[in-house]
Amino acid sequence: MGRLLELEKVNLHYKSHNTSVQVIKDADLNIESGEKVAIVGKSGSGKTSLIMLIAGLERPTSGKITFDGKVISALSENELADIRRESIGIVFQSFYLIPNYTALENVSLILEINNVQNARKKAADLLSQFGLADRLNHFPTQLSGGEQQRVAIARSMAVMPKLILADEPTGNLDTENSKLISRLLFDYAKQNNSSFILVTHDQGFAAECDRIIKIEDGKIL
Amino acid sequence: MQDFRYAIRDLTRSYKKLSSIIITLFISLFILSLIINLESGLKKELNNNAKILLGGDFEIDTKNQKIDAKFYNDLKSLGIVSSTIEFSTMLTKSLKGGDNTFFIRLKAVDNNYPLYGEILSKPDGGLQRMQSEDNAILVNKKIFETLKLKINDTVYVKQTPFKVVGFLETVPDLGRAILFGDFAVVNIKAFERLNVTALGSFINYEYKVKTDKDFKSDIEKKLKQYPFYKIRLPEEAANNLKRVITNFSEFLSLVSISAMLIAGIGIANTLISFINEKNISIAILKSVGLRSGNIKKIFYIEIFILLFVISIISYACSVISIPGLNHFITNFGITLQTEFNVVNYLIILSTGLLVVSIFCIPTIASIEQIKATSLFRNVFQLTKFQFSLKNILLIAALIIILLSIFLFRSEKTYYTSMYFLFFFMFCAVFYLLSKIVVFILKKIPAVQTLPLRFAIKNIIQERSIFPITVLSLGIGTTLLLTLTLVGYNFKRELQQSIPEIAPDYFFVSIQKNEKDPFTNFLKLKDKNVRFETVPIVAASLTKINNIDPLTYIKSNNDSYWVLERDRRISWSNVPPKDNPIMDGKWFDVNDKSLQISLDAKVAENFGIQLNDKLTLKIYGKEITGRVINFRKVDYRDLSINFVMIINPNFAATIPHEYIATAKFSDPTLFKEVEFVQTFKNISLIKVANYLGKITDLVNKIFIAVVIISSVVVIIGLMVITSAVVVQARLGIYQNLIFKILGLRSSKLIYANLIEFLFTFISIFFIASLFSLFTSEFVVENIFRLNWNIEIVPMLFVLILVGVLTLILIFINTRRFLKPSVYPLVRNE
Repeated sequence: MGRLLELEKVNLHYKSHNTSVQVIKDADLNIESGEKVAIVGKSGSGKTSLIMLIAGLERPTSGKITFDGKVISALSENELADIRRESIGIVFQSFYLIPNYTALENVSLILEINNVQNARKKAADLLSQFGLADRLNHFPTQLSGGEQQRVAIARSMAVMPKLILADEPTGNLDTENSKLISRLLFDYAKQNNSSFILVTHDQGFAAECDRIIKIEDGKIL
Repeated sequence: MQDFRYAIRDLTRSYKKLSSIIITLFISLFILSLIINLESGLKKELNNNAKILLGGDFEIDTKNQKIDAKFYNDLKSLGIVSSTIEFSTMLTKSLKGGDNTFFIRLKAVDNNYPLYGEILSKPDGGLQRMQSEDNAILVNKKIFETLKLKINDTVYVKQTPFKVVGFLETVPDLGRAILFGDFAVVNIKAFERLNVTALGSFINYEYKVKTDKDFKSDIEKKLKQYPFYKIRLPEEAANNLKRVITNFSEFLSLVSISAMLIAGIGIANTLISFINEKNISIAILKSVGLRSGNIKKIFYIEIFILLFVISIISYACSVISIPGLNHFITNFGITLQTEFNVVNYLIILSTGLLVVSIFCIPTIASIEQIKATSLFRNVFQLTKFQFSLKNILLIAALIIILLSIFLFRSEKTYYTSMYFLFFFMFCAVFYLLSKIVVFILKKIPAVQTLPLRFAIKNIIQERSIFPITVLSLGIGTTLLLTLTLVGYNFKRELQQSIPEIAPDYFFVSIQKNEKDPFTNFLKLKDKNVRFETVPIVAASLTKINNIDPLTYIKSNNDSYWVLERDRRISWSNVPPKDNPIMDGKWFDVNDKSLQISLDAKVAENFGIQLNDKLTLKIYGKEITGRVINFRKVDYRDLSINFVMIINPNFAATIPHEYIATAKFSDPTLFKEVEFVQTFKNISLIKVANYLGKITDLVNKIFIAVVIISSVVVIIGLMVITSAVVVQARLGIYQNLIFKILGLRSSKLIYANLIEFLFTFISIFFIASLFSLFTSEFVVENIFRLNWNIEIVPMLFVLILVGVLTLILIFINTRRFLKPSVYPLVRNE
């Protein structure tokens, strides 16, 4: 196990008109390779902001974020895009599939942009493993919520990323689907030795992780 | 009422997002208002001034002949009669030297002239002096200024001295010569002293009557004894001017409706983008129980409120702008008045309403595609134009109403119908083209290059906006190219230097006995002179297949000028080299009966076929002959052209005079004043001066065309911009997901640029082809100018559209990649 992610004194402010809101306060966090961490906290506590900082989708107002030995808080937009493409998978609560792409195209897309050979075949295999073999050519509107989330997870894991960020992935799903999704996430992360950061309100889901981090008013407790 | 309140609230909060609809609507409605106001203003002024333009309550058309004395006295019993004589001649400042000679139309007037309107001259009292003093003359302002004349200076006409008593700004009864050329006015006694000896071909006698009586039945009785005389009423006055105005306003009217239709495409693009931006709001409204019909009604109310407000503002702006256009039409001798005309406003409002409805129906109908279930599924698909059978029928009905309005208002229904036919045909072709491109791209096997793959995917996907982008860009670019080509053809016509082969001078009124001395004079001055002398005689076309053409050919016919007055005709053993025969054969030398070679365009306009019988009146005698062939005549090539040429076998014995052209190896060898002194009955026209005279009016028309075209170009670019912006906005969600997944912005921009290239290359050739065809039609048929292909400006416009659109795509794609993805991740 080596250190995959390190946050040092990370702060994030949002400016709105004349007021400034501090969303993340002096966050320090270390994640090891293969480690599974759950982030829990009330709504508005800063959970999503934290994973957006880790994904390089937000830039910290101050502090340093190191991912896989690279200080990502100092990288350009393009370099951050490269890191996300190659090493980070993201799963959203609301799935965010591309509506005009079929399930197969949504997954093969990430393989194609990583120049993976036989992208469509690999995507089809992956979706089959997720129980969607008969849904390959369906558009998102033709899939149930659970199916859409399975496609989204397949997409996030297709390139075997070093880190998976999941923002309340079961928030929109029923109990049965939630269990299925959580199983898929854990199994696949374990299989690929991916680190895993999970934002969740589900205590049971969080309990399966190696570590639970609590966040309150932007501060990691 | 609740829907109305909701619409108002939504509009006041969202008007910034609709700014491009507001601007597009304003510009297009303003142009439409301006053109309709200009057209109706010009026509109203012409109608109001009809008696002034004719010069009386009626005119007796004597076919240029001096009136019968008995008939003249009969006319006097009806009211005040004014007789005038017009002829073409030369005016010089000196008999000794200098080069300042003017070819003028000299108008000799009696003391009753003018019966209506007034002669505008300076200084005051010039008209009275001209009428009362012997050999007094009023010249037009250009002659006065060019010859640097002072009051009481002497000028010479046919070597007869005249005292300049002032200069004229305009005369009330407009003639073609006065509209386009230089002119001067003398009194009848002065004219008699000129002792004009020509055969009458260049002399025009006019008799006008002012009366309070109901003259029609009286005059018709009198005319029975003089069947060659015709009565002209005020509504027939200034036909040439009316034709110029009609052609011009027809063209502008079609340009303005093009602007409206293109604006309609832009409005549809912006509106669909607006609906897509509001899809969550619409889904929420549906989820709380609002019907699609209610939501659509709200959108319709919003767009119609905008239309109503903007139509009033744009109409008011156009009314204010009308007085500013008066300096463009000073030549016409009329002044446009500004006024709020309810009928005109209603035409503009209804046109706007129809165009907006036509384009909004499939756009607003797309609201039906947004489902409340999207809120549960969390998947929002982009809406696209919705064409149900009901919508298509409704749109077709609105198009028919729109066409009817324009056809009803148009005096050239053929051109207007053709225009609409081609407009919708072009739309269909561009739409079909987009479908063909999609079909071909679908057949292409999977491409490895990622941006290319994304581009193709964007184009071929089910809800692609590719067809509408091709349509907008295609129609917009076609219009831009067409207007550019029309504008450049105008410009070339104006800047055209005198062609190498064009003569330096025209010589008219050469009598038979002067022909040899004239020829010798030219050869003496320049032994290398190239000249052409042809016989001419005045003839009028009185019957076509034994029917008086004036009974069925109306004054708005493009060839009506052939019937208006006597035409000069000529004869020749061989066809003129610049007049190719379009149909039929040249004269049969063995046939001594009258054979006629006719201008093909005139034949077409009058419906004359080969072997039809034409009756010509030459020196008062009617002779009937047959049309043997049709020639293509281009009156702009500065060579000698005739509408009718007859066979020499028949013409040999007709008394005639000659017309000549001459081109000198060195024009300085020819001295105009010396020539005028030697041949006082021969008039000369310097070609360079002739071109200069028509330039002013054409220049003003050109300016108007360029201004209107520029505005339409702006609308076209706005529409293209709106198509691009819509494309970028619709792609925002997709691009943000790509960005989160780690795709570099550059690849997304490449993908969008490749997608644009597919669009642009698709329309490039078709738009060029269509614009060549349309501009040729407009230049040749509406403006009657020579059309030439202008490659450089065409390429310039195409490159401009391409580069501008590329920049817009680049900026928009970057702009929509820039904002934080935070709202998306937050499910906002």
